[in-house]
Amino acid sequence: MMDVGRHPKVELMTFSEVESITGFVGNFNVRVRQKARYVDASECTICAECAEVCPVAIPDAYQQGFSSRKAIYLPFPQAVPSAYVLDMENCLGNNPIACGKCAEVCEKKCIDYDDQDKFVDLEVGVIIAATGMDVYDPTAYDEYGYTRYENVITSMEFERLICAGGPTDGHFIRPSDRKAPQSIGFIQCVGSRSRDGRGNPYCSNICCMNTVKDTLLLCDHYPGIATKVFYMDIRAFGKGFEDLYMRSREEGVRYIRGIPGTVVENPENGNLVLTVENTTTGQLEEHELEMLVLSQGVIPRRDGDQIKHLLTLSTTSDGFIMESHPKLKPVDAPTKGVFIAGCMESPKDVKDSVTQAGAAAARASILLNAGKTRIEAITSQINSELCNFCGICAKVCPYNAILAPDRKAKKAPIIIQAACAGCGACAAECPQDAIGMRHFTNDQIMAQVDAILAVEPQKHLVTFACNWCSYAGGDNAGTARLQYPTSCRLIRTMCSGRVDEKFIMRAFRMGAPMVLVSGCHFADCHYISAVRWTQKRMDRIWSKLDRLGIRDDRLRLEWISAAEGQKFAKVMRELEDKVKSVTKEEIEFTMKVLAEEEAKAQEKKAKRQLEVTVL
Amino acid sequence: MTARDTHFKCLNCGHEYDGVYDPDKVTERTCPQCRSNSVRRLPEKKATAKK
Ligand SMILES: [Zn+2]
Repeated sequence: MMDVGRHPKVELMTFSEVESITGFVGNFNVRVRQKARYVDASECTICAECAEVCPVAIPDAYQQGFSSRKAIYLPFPQAVPSAYVLDMENCLGNNPIACGKCAEVCEKKCIDYDDQDKFVDLEVGVIIAATGMDVYDPTAYDEYGYTRYENVITSMEFERLICAGGPTDGHFIRPSDRKAPQSIGFIQCVGSRSRDGRGNPYCSNICCMNTVKDTLLLCDHYPGIATKVFYMDIRAFGKGFEDLYMRSREEGVRYIRGIPGTVVENPENGNLVLTVENTTTGQLEEHELEMLVLSQGVIPRRDGDQIKHLLTLSTTSDGFIMESHPKLKPVDAPTKGVFIAGCMESPKDVKDSVTQAGAAAARASILLNAGKTRIEAITSQINSELCNFCGICAKVCPYNAILAPDRKAKKAPIIIQAACAGCGACAAECPQDAIGMRHFTNDQIMAQVDAILAVEPQKHLVTFACNWCSYAGGDNAGTARLQYPTSCRLIRTMCSGRVDEKFIMRAFRMGAPMVLVSGCHFADCHYISAVRWTQKRMDRIWSKLDRLGIRDDRLRLEWISAAEGQKFAKVMRELEDKVKSVTKEEIEFTMKVLAEEEAKAQEKKAKRQLEVTVL
Repeated sequence: MTARDTHFKCLNCGHEYDGVYDPDKVTERTCPQCRSNSVRRLPEKKATAKK
């Protein structure tokens, strides 16, 4: 951090928060709130005299609450900038009756109680987000007694206790009697790899090696201390990690394969008695330890929704930020010009975070150095004559690429071509048909529907498949030589969000017995959230079919990923039977009803066009 | 708009069940019985009538 702070080309804005981000790749406008520090950082010499006279004492969050800090304080010893900050929420104020002592003693006169938040507007070309993570709160695991027993601590608290800059100057003591413990236990996977709903299902990646490191620290500093690690699996897959793990075992650390079921405190000496099934021996064991460390997992940032909203990002099912492509674009966010690094993407250690940050910086500089960028060929375009300024397009766009219309000024929405990724959700949702796509046009898709149903329509299953997942799922089924019926006919769209109601109705109108819309699973959507609009739209179309007296189960929806060739084949086989169950009469009735509907719609459209011409 | 209890119907196997629908947090629907994604959220009126 010190290096970053001193770098001539890096402007570090600490104690600041991003308020808003607008614009698009190459032209982002970022508004930053620089919070009031109440201390002039350029003048402060960290003499600490202000803190000495400050009468307020509150728990120090940096030291995990093991010690206290004053209302005017240095956040941590290596803080950049190296200057005090005044916590106004806890300050008594500068009224001489109340306090004002710090300002009195500050020789440099750098304390200003009237300091205000400042706003800074930045124009940037690209953004790298590296907002980190939070740690899991182990209170849900009541059996470990974290809230009941003083000598049960978390791995974060352990870090502070063993740190030379910590509250005990690095003397490792247990909280209840401030004595150096002779035995200590670690429980792994607290809040990770959990299937009971209390923790998270994923592996937190860093906890195993963190514990191995902690045991080695203990062995180095306190030879003779009995250390036991209770684990499910030790995952030591990084470079040199296995050696470290082996060293820990050689130093005498006992690794016991089993997670304790109960932890009870011995009231006489404050020791903790753990009951655990050793799954290697199958025996139920009891272990008495003087101290217990819960190796807590990591979780996505608690204020992650705010960051997601600012950068129009989406998350995977575990809550971490989704990358543009897990293998080919692991540091690119789906929004062009935005890159991600570190634990906001997934739990990772320092080395992986640094590697990812380097990659993100390199990817960002490619864009910056080029000075120009290739945009998608498949973008949407607005026919402003047809637009009625409803603004639905701007609402559905996952990329915020559409500037909302101005109804009063009769100004149609504007599509930022550089930001548009071409999902087509806006085109499918526009009630006025005022939005079209460049490539994969309405006419092209309709022509495919017509061609599929030109001969023996009653035998064909019309399937709309998204380019990235379902179409690739079909390919996967093919390359795996999985059998599926030949009656299935695929129409490729870039996203299932592009599948307009009128494509489906056209298929039914042309005699299709069944129509299937298939797309990516929500977590895999190539277009952030476009797939969610598909599901909403399907509800609407099912209701419409109901209203027209057409069986709703003739229109199907399936999420099929590129890897799910088997699911693709299975769905096709199942639907083949359903296709056969649709009667000739049913199809004829559907065609008749929809022909009437189409006639009505055309009449309405002609009337509107006439109105527009007259106006 | 807030989350509300809704009735869902699987168009593949006909299974009907109650669940929560939050228009602001649309989640992937899967039929608990047959794992199909053709799960329709029944309109409120219809859902109440069925109950
Ligand atoms: Zn079902």
